[in-house]
Amino acid sequence: MPFIEAKDISFSYSNGTEVIKEAGVSIENGEFTGLIGPNGSGKTTIGKLLCGILMPDKGNIFLDKEEISNLELCQIGQVIGYLFQNPDTQIFNVIVKKELSFILELKGFKKSFIDYQTEKMLNLFKLSNLRDSYTFNLSYGEKKRLAIASILINKPKFLILDEPTTGLDIKSKKMLSNILKKLLDRGIGMLVMGHDEDFIKEMAGRTIKIREGRIIG
Amino acid sequence: MDKYKIDARAKLIITLCLSSIAVFIQNVYVLGFTLVAAILIAMLLGAKLLLVLKSFKKMWFIFAIIVIAQSIFTNAGANLITIGNFSFLSTGGLVKGLEFVLRLAVIVISATIITTSSHREIVQGLIQLKVPYEVAFMVLVAIRFLPIFMGEFRDTVTAIQLRGVDIKRIAFKKKLKMYYYIFNPILINSIKKAHKLSVAMEMRAFRAYPKRTSYLVLKMSLRDYFVILSSVFFTVALIVAYYLFLRGGCFESIINYRA
Repeated sequence: MPFIEAKDISFSYSNGTEVIKEAGVSIENGEFTGLIGPNGSGKTTIGKLLCGILMPDKGNIFLDKEEISNLELCQIGQVIGYLFQNPDTQIFNVIVKKELSFILELKGFKKSFIDYQTEKMLNLFKLSNLRDSYTFNLSYGEKKRLAIASILINKPKFLILDEPTTGLDIKSKKMLSNILKKLLDRGIGMLVMGHDEDFIKEMAGRTIKIREGRIIG
Repeated sequence: MDKYKIDARAKLIITLCLSSIAVFIQNVYVLGFTLVAAILIAMLLGAKLLLVLKSFKKMWFIFAIIVIAQSIFTNAGANLITIGNFSFLSTGGLVKGLEFVLRLAVIVISATIITTSSHREIVQGLIQLKVPYEVAFMVLVAIRFLPIFMGEFRDTVTAIQLRGVDIKRIAFKKKLKMYYYIFNPILINSIKKAHKLSVAMEMRAFRAYPKRTSYLVLKMSLRDYFVILSSVFFTVALIVAYYLFLRGGCFESIINYRA
């Protein structure tokens, strides 16, 4: 059975517009999957449905063989890391280093372990020189890197990234693709939503196409 | 509902009158009557009452706690539940609790009357009521930004839960810390938005000229004048009558009753 499987899911927002129409998606762990489509085609909604932020009106979603509606968000968060389009809504601290360590502190880990993990992430995401900087002074690309690093410190098995390359320059995009390739080598699978076909092709993974809420390929 | 279309200023005055009655009057009958009137007016003007009630779904629990607290701390009337010498629930307390619910309902329902006009009409209404443009603009900004802040708050709470934090079961000391983490991005983003907005306003020459003209100008009909005058007259008459005759009415006798 695939790691994430959505069977004939439909979803409408409260204004009645049907955004997802009987869509089916199967995603294996450990591989790169790109979900591409034009603006308003339902990419973000599919991503939010697959990690339980939204619940489908029809159909079922399974995460690691478990029906997603039976899981709480915090349980899903142990397995899936989700990057929102706007990194500002998921940066909770004013200092970069603190942003990486706070979640481990909340979970009650030892200081030595927290320091080790924080340093590891700062190095992996090339944020070491910004460790004591204010998060609100970071550039958009640095914020995206910090947000992904903060998600990864939680050790999820799978990542869902919503338009990670939007607003990034060529250098930042290259840096991000290198980091994502390293994560793939470590066996962390990912679903990347966006319309940057070049980036998705570069990652050499499987591509799912979506248009007007329907999976077309 | 075009038949009942009235000027935005008339709606603002109706809302002000209904809210004033809710604040100044402490009589369950009058508040009940005002609530019925507010519901009827809101329905006639086409307010989406069900939508408002749905959005308050998560607040009912807090209302219930406040009503119970009011009942416990208002020691008047006949005792209904006593534990030792302590009166846990009394008729006077229940009346006070009911009064609170009615007052809140009147204010919420009357606010929905304003929502039947567009934001632009409301702001123009305030300006034509001689409210300074800066204040009217602040009202507009608050109305426009509220859904954005609510969306951001939802995303932030979801984001922290998706980091594996169980909000419901976290220890109290850590819960306080977690709320700090949740409000941090919201506060920073609000300051940033306010800054960006102020720059954008400056670039569009906000307050560059002392006199401001408007493309949209509201015109009141005879019906609007009638609605405004009758609302103000009825509200003043009701408040005066209440303070002269009704205060200490039938429910006061229940509250003052001692078993």
